Amino acid sequence: MRVTLTVNGERRELEVEARRTLADALRENCRLTGTHLACEHGVCGACTVLVDGEAVRSCLMFAVQCDGREVRTVEGLAGADGTPHPLQEAFSAEHALQCGFCTPGFLMLAAGALQEDPSIADDPDRLRELLTSNLCRCTGYESIRRAVTRAAGELAGGAS
Amino acid sequence: MKPTAFEYFAPRTVEEVVAALAGGDTRVLAGGQSLVLEMNYRTVRPARLVDINRVAEFTGLDAGDGVLRVRPLVRHRAFERDISAGPLGRLLSSVVHNIAHPPIRARGTMLGSLAYAHPAAEWPAVATALDAQLDLTGPDGTRTVAAEAFFAGPFDTVRRPEELLSEARLPLLPDRAGVGFVEHRRTHASFAQLAAIAALTVRDGVIDWVRLGLVNAAERPVRAHAAERALLGQPADAGTLTGAARVAGEQDADPREQPHASAGYQRHAVGVLVRRALEAAVRDAGAVGDGR
Amino acid sequence: MAQRAGGDDSEFTRRAADGGSAPSRREDARLVRGAGCFVADLLPEDCLEVVFVSSPVAHGEMGAVDVDDARRMPGVAAVWSAADLPAVPQTPPMLGITASAGRAWPALAVDRVRYVGQPVAIVLAADRYVAEDARDAVRLDISPLPVLLDPTDAAGSEVELFLGMPNVAVEKEYGDPIDPAVWRDAAVVVEGNYRQQLLAHTSMEARAILIRPEDDDGLTVWCSHQAPHRLRGDLAAALGLPEERIRVVVPDVGGAFGGKSETYPEYLAVAVAARRLGRTVRWVEDRAEALTGPPHGRGQNQRTRMAADADGRILAYELTIDADVGGYPHLGAFVPLNTSVMAAGAYQIPRVHVQTRCVVTNTAPTSPYRGAGRPEAATAIERTVDTLARRLGMDPAKLRQRNFIRPDALPYRTPTGFQYDSGDYPAALALAMRTVDYDGWRAQQAQRRRTGTGAPLGIGICSYLERSGNAWEFGSVEACPDGTYLALSGCCSTGQGHETSFPQVVASVLGVEPELIRLVEADTAIVPRGIGSYSSRSMQTGGAALHRAAGALMEQARGRAAESWAVPIEEVTYRAGTVSAGQRRVSLADLAAATGPLRADEVFEPPQAAPYGTYIAVVEVEPELGTVSVLRLVAVDDYGVVINHVIVRGQSYGSIAQGLGQALYEQVRYDPDGVPETRSLLDYLIPTLSEVPPVTLREMCTPNPNTALGAKGAGEAGCIGAPAAVINAVVDALDLDDPSAIQMPLTPFACWQARQPALAGAGR
Repeated sequence: MRVTLTVNGERRELEVEARRTLADALRENCRLTGTHLACEHGVCGACTVLVDGEAVRSCLMFAVQCDGREVRTVEGLAGADGTPHPLQEAFSAEHALQCGFCTPGFLMLAAGALQEDPSIADDPDRLRELLTSNLCRCTGYESIRRAVTRAAGELAGGAS
Repeated sequence: MKPTAFEYFAPRTVEEVVAALAGGDTRVLAGGQSLVLEMNYRTVRPARLVDINRVAEFTGLDAGDGVLRVRPLVRHRAFERDISAGPLGRLLSSVVHNIAHPPIRARGTMLGSLAYAHPAAEWPAVATALDAQLDLTGPDGTRTVAAEAFFAGPFDTVRRPEELLSEARLPLLPDRAGVGFVEHRRTHASFAQLAAIAALTVRDGVIDWVRLGLVNAAERPVRAHAAERALLGQPADAGTLTGAARVAGEQDADPREQPHASAGYQRHAVGVLVRRALEAAVRDAGAVGDGR
Repeated sequence: MAQRAGGDDSEFTRRAADGGSAPSRREDARLVRGAGCFVADLLPEDCLEVVFVSSPVAHGEMGAVDVDDARRMPGVAAVWSAADLPAVPQTPPMLGITASAGRAWPALAVDRVRYVGQPVAIVLAADRYVAEDARDAVRLDISPLPVLLDPTDAAGSEVELFLGMPNVAVEKEYGDPIDPAVWRDAAVVVEGNYRQQLLAHTSMEARAILIRPEDDDGLTVWCSHQAPHRLRGDLAAALGLPEERIRVVVPDVGGAFGGKSETYPEYLAVAVAARRLGRTVRWVEDRAEALTGPPHGRGQNQRTRMAADADGRILAYELTIDADVGGYPHLGAFVPLNTSVMAAGAYQIPRVHVQTRCVVTNTAPTSPYRGAGRPEAATAIERTVDTLARRLGMDPAKLRQRNFIRPDALPYRTPTGFQYDSGDYPAALALAMRTVDYDGWRAQQAQRRRTGTGAPLGIGICSYLERSGNAWEFGSVEACPDGTYLALSGCCSTGQGHETSFPQVVASVLGVEPELIRLVEADTAIVPRGIGSYSSRSMQTGGAALHRAAGALMEQARGRAAESWAVPIEEVTYRAGTVSAGQRRVSLADLAAATGPLRADEVFEPPQAAPYGTYIAVVEVEPELGTVSVLRLVAVDDYGVVINHVIVRGQSYGSIAQGLGQALYEQVRYDPDGVPETRSLLDYLIPTLSEVPPVTLREMCTPNPNTALGAKGAGEAGCIGAPAAVINAVVDALDLDDPSAIQMPLTPFACWQARQPALAGAGR
C-alpha cells in the first residue's frame, strides 16, 4: 500500500505491506534506525515516537494508519542546525543513559509530554507516572528522572 | 514478532464498517494496543482489519439524559481530564491512571477494552458494576446489551463477529455519590492482579445506593451483588464495610489460581480491596455532602 | 543548578548534580541523537533475515522436519533443518568446561530436543515478516519424552537427558568435609533451604548477529557481544576456519549482563547459512525468543548449615548446591563454581565445605547473569547468618562484626581456596549502619512491635564479598604523528562507557588531555588480542593493562629520544606528551613522525580482586496484602580506585535496580511440560521507575594492592548485595522463624503466605 508520512518535517512516500508496523517502516523503509525495537508488544517503550505530537508506541501502530500524518523521531529532536534538544543535553549531563538502547524512546516520551505541558516536571507524581511508561535495564531510572526535570527547567528558562 | 498478512480497510462511515465486518475473519482496529500486541505474537491472525479511526461519527464523548455516551474512538486518556460528569468523572479518572501508561492511553480506547474483555482490564468491571448499556451494531441494525450480560468469559463476549461495539452508555451517578477505586498489582508494568470499584450514596448515615465491581476476581468482570446486598440499608460504618467486603471475597469472587496468587489469597485480597474502595467511597460521599 | 525532583536523598543524586565533576560520556553524543549503531541498525543491501523454527517441546525425540511448504513461499531463500546440512557444527565448550563433553549443543537440533526454544530449523527470507510466515509453515514431528525441570529432581531421576550419561554434568567439592562432631558439639546449628529462581537477562537489546561472507572464504561478523575474540575463536573452531579469516566487530551493544559472552548455536547456524548462500545474513532476536531463552541466569537449589558457639562465633559453614544448567551445560556450568569459591563471604570461618552439582534439565541453558554466582553465594550465607542471629537472639549487625575477617588478617585465603586481597569489612558495615540510621530504625521497629501499630517493619543487612576480574587483558597505547593517541583494548563495552573512562586512565598516566586519546576496542581486525567485558573486569584488568601500556609508551619514548639524541636514557624526562633532555625537547607526535611508530602493547594478568561492601534495606510489608515496600536502601561499596565516579555510580544504581528485580519481581516460570510461561514483559516483570526506592550510595576506597591502577571490579555489586538485604529485611519484618518459608521473588502472595498470623495480627 502507498503511504505518505511526514517524518521529521520531510515528506516520505512509502510502498509498504499493510502489516508493516510504523516502527519497521521508520527503521527499514526510512532508514531512521534511532527508533529501537526492544519488545514489540508495547511494554518497554523503546520505539516511542511522536505521531501528530503525541507519544505512541510505534510497534503497536501500522504504517498505513499514519498515512498523511506527522511523525517525529529521535533523529528529528535536535534543531535543524544540529543544536541538541535540551533533553538530549540533559540526558548526557545527568548520565541518564548507559547502553543507550532505551534512550530514544525515553527522549521522545519526555519530548511529547513537555511539549504538551511543560509543567509536568513540577509535579513529582505526574512525572513518575509518565516515566513509568518505559523500561530501562541499565540506569535504575533515577538519572532519567533528573534529566527530564533538568530539561524542563531549561525549556522553561528558554521560554521566559 | 511480526503480524501475519491482512487486508486493510479504512472506511469513513458506519455502514462501510458494518459491511466490512460482514466479510468474516475481520478484526476492528481502534487503538490497537492489545490487538496489535496479539498480532505481533501471532496469537491473533485476522484475514482483514477494519481501521475505524477515520469514521467521524465514532468520535466524541458527551453526557446527557442521565448517561455518559462513549463512542468507539474515545481514547483512555480522555478520562484523565475532568469529563464534567460529577462522581462518574471522578471515578473514571481515578480508574484510568491504572490503565497501562500515557502512550498506551493515548491510543487505546474504552470500547476496545470492553470488546477485548481481558479479565484483568478495568473498564469491563467498571461497565459491569455501573450497569452500562452497550450498543452492538451489525447488519441487522443495533441491539443493546447490558454490560453484565455482555461478558461471556476471558476474551469472550456476546458480540457477534459481524457486530461492532458502537457505543457504551454509562449511567451518570447520583450527584451525592461517593466513589472509590483500589487496585493491587505486582509492578507498574503488570496488569491488575485484582481491583475493586465502589460507588455509593449515604443518607442519614445509611447506605441507600451502591454499586460494587471486581476486576480479575473471576473469569468475567464481576458485579458484587452479594456484597451490595450486605450494604444496602446498612449504616456506613466500619463493621458494615468490613462485613460486606468479606462477602465480596467469599461469595462474589470466583478466582482461579494465578502464578503469584492462590485462590485463597485472592479471596482474601478481594475483601481487603473492596473494604478500601468502600472506605474511599464513603469518604468521597462525605466530602460531597460537606458541600465540596 | 535547578531544584531536583523531591523524594530522593541519594548521594548519587547530589554528586551527579554537582556538575562538572565528570565530563559527559563520549558515547552519549551519538546515542542521544539516535545515531548509535546497534547490530539491527546495520542495514546492508540484500541482507537475508533469519528466523528459527524452535522446539515447542521441552524434551522429545525428533522425527522428520517438513520444510517443503515453507521453502515454496515467495521471498524465502532457504529453510534447513539439521538433516539438510552436510555437517552440523557444535558450540565449543567454554572456559574448558568438561561438562560439555558428550553433551554437545548443536547449531540445529539433531535427534533430540532438550528445551523449548531450541533451534530446529533455520529460515532465511528477504524480510522478517516473510521469514516468520515460513517459520509457521514448517511442520515438526516431535515425540515428547519425560520432562525434568528441577535440578535436584533431575539429579535423582531415572530419565537420562543424554543417553548413557548422568544428568549431573559437574560435581565439585571445595574445602574439607566437616567433622560431624563440629555439628554435634556446637552450641547452635542453623539450616536453610534457599531457591535462586531463574531469571531472564532482559537487556533491552536482545541477541543479534550479522554475518557477511568474504571472498577469501572468511567471514565478517557483527555481533552484540561481550567477548569478540572469544567469539572469533569459537566460530573458527566450530566452522573449521583459521581465526584470521574471521573478523568480529561488536558495534554498540544494548546491554548484556552476562548473557552475551557466549557462542550460541544460533550464531553457528547463521554462519553456516551465510557461507552456504554466499549472502549477508542477520538474526535479530525478538523479545518472545529472548524471554524463552537461552540464556537464563541463576537457578540454584541451596542447602546451608552453619554452626556457632554460644557467643556467636561461627565454627563451620556448609553449602550444598544443585544448579540448573538447562538443556545443555554451557557457560552456566561455570557459575555455580563461582558461588562455591565465594561461599564463605566476608567471614573468618575455620571450616567451610561446599558441594556443588551442575545438573542438566529441560529448561533453557543458563549463563552468567550480572553477579554470576556471587549473588547466589551472598544470599545463601547472608540469609544463614541472619538465621543464626535470630537463633542466638543477637543483633545481626553485631553477629557480623564478631565474625568478619579483620583488615589486618588480609590478604586472607578462605578454606575454599580463594584469596581476598584488601579492605575493611567491619568499616563498611559501620558506615552503612550510620548512613541508614540503623539504631533509629531498630528503635522504631521495637516500638511498632511493642504497640502493635504500623506495618511490620524490617531491617536487613547483606555484607557481601565478590570476586572480580579474571585472566589477562590486552591494552595498547600509540602516540600518533598528529598529536593524538590511539588506545586499543581487548575489553568490549556493552554500555559501561569505556570510550570515556579508558582514555581517562591513559590521559592520567601520560599527563595529557583525555580528548587527545581515542579508544578502539571490539574489532578483532584492529585489536590483536583480547578477552572482553564480564566479571566486572574491564577497569580492573583492561584499565590496568592500558595503565601499564601508557607507562611503557613513556619509557619507549624516552628510550627512542635517548637513542636519537645519543644521551643516556636517565637524562631524558617525560612530561605531558613530550620528552626532553637538557635544552632538547620533542613531542611524542614529532618523535613518532621522525622515528617511526611509537606504540606499547601490554598483556596484563593481575590476580582476581575482592570488592566488598554492605547493603542495608529497610522495608515495610503491607499487613493485609503482603506488598513489600523498600523504604530505604543504603549501599556501601569498595571498588578500590574509581576512575569515573559518575559512571561507576550509575552502574551501582542500575545494578541495585536489577537486584531488587530478583528480590521482589522477576522469575522465569515453566509450566509442568517445560513450556515457558513468562514470554512477555507483562509476565516477566522487571522494575519500572515506580518500583525503584530511594537509594543512598556510599563508597569506600581500598586500592587494589595488585595493580598500579588500584581499581577493583565494579558494576555487579547491586545485584549481589541488594537481594539478600531485602530478603533479610522481609524475614525480619515478618518475624519468620523458618528462614526457608519464603523464597524469591518476594511477591505479595509469598509474603502473605509465609506468615499469615503476623500479617493478620498487625494493623487491623
